[in-house]
Order: sequence, then C-alpha cells, then structure tokens
Amino acid sequence: MMSSQPIRCLLAMLGTDVHSKGIRTLARLLRDYGVEVIYLGEHNTAEGVINAVIAEDADIVGLSYSTSTYLHYTRELMEKMQAAGVSDVPVMLGGLIHAEDEPELAAMGVKGVFGPGAPIDAVLDFLESATGKALSRSGALDN
Amino acid sequence: MNARRSNPSVEDWAEKVVAGDWRAAARLITLIEGGDATADPILQKLFAAGRDTPVIGITGPAGAGKSTIVDQLLAHWRASDLTVAVLAVDPSSPITGGAVLGDRMRMGRHNTDPGVFIRSMSARGQLGGLSSAAGDALIVLDAMGFDRIVVETVGTGQNEIDILHYAQATIVVQTPAGGDAVQALKAGLLEIADVFAVNKADLAGADRVVSQLREAVEDRYVLDHDDWRAAIVKVQASANIGITELDGALSAFFDYLAAHPAVQEKRRKARIRAALTNRVAEMLKKPNLVGRTSAFDLAIDSVLNRRADPRSAAANFIAAVR
Repeated sequence: MMSSQPIRCLLAMLGTDVHSKGIRTLARLLRDYGVEVIYLGEHNTAEGVINAVIAEDADIVGLSYSTSTYLHYTRELMEKMQAAGVSDVPVMLGGLIHAEDEPELAAMGVKGVFGPGAPIDAVLDFLESATGKALSRSGALDN
Repeated sequence: MNARRSNPSVEDWAEKVVAGDWRAAARLITLIEGGDATADPILQKLFAAGRDTPVIGITGPAGAGKSTIVDQLLAHWRASDLTVAVLAVDPSSPITGGAVLGDRMRMGRHNTDPGVFIRSMSARGQLGGLSSAAGDALIVLDAMGFDRIVVETVGTGQNEIDILHYAQATIVVQTPAGGDAVQALKAGLLEIADVFAVNKADLAGADRVVSQLREAVEDRYVLDHDDWRAAIVKVQASANIGITELDGALSAFFDYLAAHPAVQEKRRKARIRAALTNRVAEMLKKPNLVGRTSAFDLAIDSVLNRRADPRSAAANFIAAVR
C-alpha cells in the first residue's frame, strides 16, 4: 500500500553546471503533482547534498546535468552517500545524459535516467515506484 | 516500508535526538508533519527535557529577503561558534499540496556545516495543523541543543503568523517596495514585531519606511510603555550590511526580557495561550478524533441548513463534546 504522505524530492545540481532551466521546470511540474520539492539549485557539493538528504529526510534525489562531468560528480555522490549510510535513498538523473553511459550509472546505483524528451509520465511513475508514495495526479494542473 | 524506515524505541529515539543525532531528529519531524501519533510519546519526553533554546521568528512578504537575512545571520553566529537550527516554512499549493521549498538554496553555503541544521516544511494545504506541526518540530530542534533556533515563514496568512507564537523574538522584514507602513499596521505585524529589519535599504524610500515604522512603534509605545519598544534596523542583506546591528537589536531585546521578568512572563503566557487555543481548535476539527467528527459535522450542517445560527451551533458543539 502506498503512503498518503507527500513525496519529498530533493533537486540539485553538482559542480559548476549552471544550466538550471531543466531542473527548475521539473521542480514546477513535480510541485503540481503534489511533490514537496526541496530545491537546492546550482553549485552544490556531494557533502552539501548528503547533509540536506539527512536533515530534510528526503525520499529521493534528482540531479540535473548539462555538461559531460556527470560521471565524475555522480560517482563521488554515490560513494559518499554509501559512506554516510544514506545509499538507500534513490537517485535519479536528468539532462544531457548519453545513452552509452547509462550502464555505468546503473552500476554506480543510479535508479533512473531521464534524458531529453523523457515523458513526464515516465518520471512520475518512477517517483511512485522508487519511493512507495503516491502522487496527487488528480489534482495536478494541466500544463 | 523500507529498512530505512524502521524506527527505534521511544527511549532510544528521544536519547538520540537529545544527543544531536540529525537522522533521528529529521525522521521524527517527518512523523510530526504526517500527523503520525508515533511521535507523541517522544515529543513528551523531549519537551520535558527542553533546553529553552532562544527561538527567533522571521517573517515578512515573499521576496523581502528573509532567507538571505537568515543566511547572513547564520554566518554571523557561526563566526562566534554558535550552532543554529533553521525551520524554513514555505507555502504549498492549495490545489495539489505540492511545494517548491527554496529557502534552503539561499543558505546553500551552510549546507556542509555540521553546526547548521536546516529543515524545510510546507503547509501541505491542510486545514490548519501547520502551526502545531511547526511548534512540535521546534520542540525537536530545542532538544537537540543548538545555541539558536530560527523559524522562517511568509507573513501572509494566519497559519503562518500562528507559527510565530512559538518564537521568543520576532523579526519582521519590510522593504521600500512593500507599500507604506499602513500595510504593516493592517496585517497586524506591528503587534508581533520585536525587531523590524528594513531590507534593501539602498533602494529609494527606505528612510520613509523607517520613519513610518518609527512613528507606528512610538504610537504603540505611548499606549503600552510597560513593554519592549520594537527596534528598527536598516539592512542590505545581500551585501551583508546591517547584520551585526540586527543581531545587536536581538541581543538588546533578549537582555531587556532578562531584566524585566514580569514582561517576559506576560509574553510567555500570551504565547502559550495563543498556541494552545490553536491546538484546541485544530483538535476539535480533526476528522479522526474518535466520536467527535460527527458532532462538528453536524454543527456545520445545522448552520448550512439554517437550523442553528453560528453562535448556537458552536455552543451546541461544545456541549456535545464536553
């Protein structure tokens, strides 16, 4: 049975990537599906994201990348999440992710990858299955 | 339920929170937000062992610079090695209950600091309940043993203002862009402000806002001079100007309270009265209160169908639940 509590989703960008349009769009979309988005914005470190995951008791982490540094930063985050004992919090990636890198990301423990053109329904279905919590789809605005 | 959600016993959980365990505290706040009764016995223990951490409320219109001021206060206090917890309350969509909680981003430079605990909370579009949830979360933060607690909320609705009953000191943020000071009077913010921060003080009109606030503060002080006279501080938060003075005004207020125990007592009682009044109203309306829901719904129906006027319906309801 799914919990009736809202999904708490932490959205962040790591490193020097500044193209935040995508993650801001996702934040707004998720809000309209009843998600509590904890928005960290750009220029985060792995340590900062992990502290936020703990203090906010986040259900899931979403990272957005528009540069090719994603393997490096994601690996660092996944390793440090493991060390901090929060590796059970699922991590999803969005943005410009190359298909040939997906197996390596999966091997690091990344649970979902949503590149350009990924339908919002795919993200929503993933959020529900990864967190075991229900979205508020009926109340969502059309956009 | 995944393994991460397996919970310790009441005693262990309370002990962990008191020892400053972030994870135990964060999980407990999640239970509180969800209205989970598992939290109740732990809260009882934590409250009994409360540390009376100074709680500073900060409110004001959206975009006034509340989070940026908090960010600068954090830096100021951390420079003196003071540890701080922040409860950042943001509005949620009344339609979906969803929210984008963005206050934390403005305090991003403190994300890696173990002396700064930041928790975001949304209104969740509930019927009330927000101020109680925030009040309970503040009990958790108090028990953790920080030197300061800040609770940040948009000063728009009664729900948000109610949260400030849990703060010993309240900063009300105004800007030159925020209309004239009559707006502040209308919103009742004058009554709750211990310190006014006039932010974006480099913008035209800042001095006018300051003088209007001063006039309002003085008018009030004339009527009730047995209480603190609200301080007014000009701030440019993004440039870190006026933050030392703002903290100085807070310290002066706390010193005043310490020197005037009668005033402190009066204020504490007024705060507790307001908080308990809220709680009682929330409890009475709560749909899962066994056997009482029907009484409240009946009262609503009786007014809806004009069988009873609101005053009689309320009286009937009280008689029914007594």
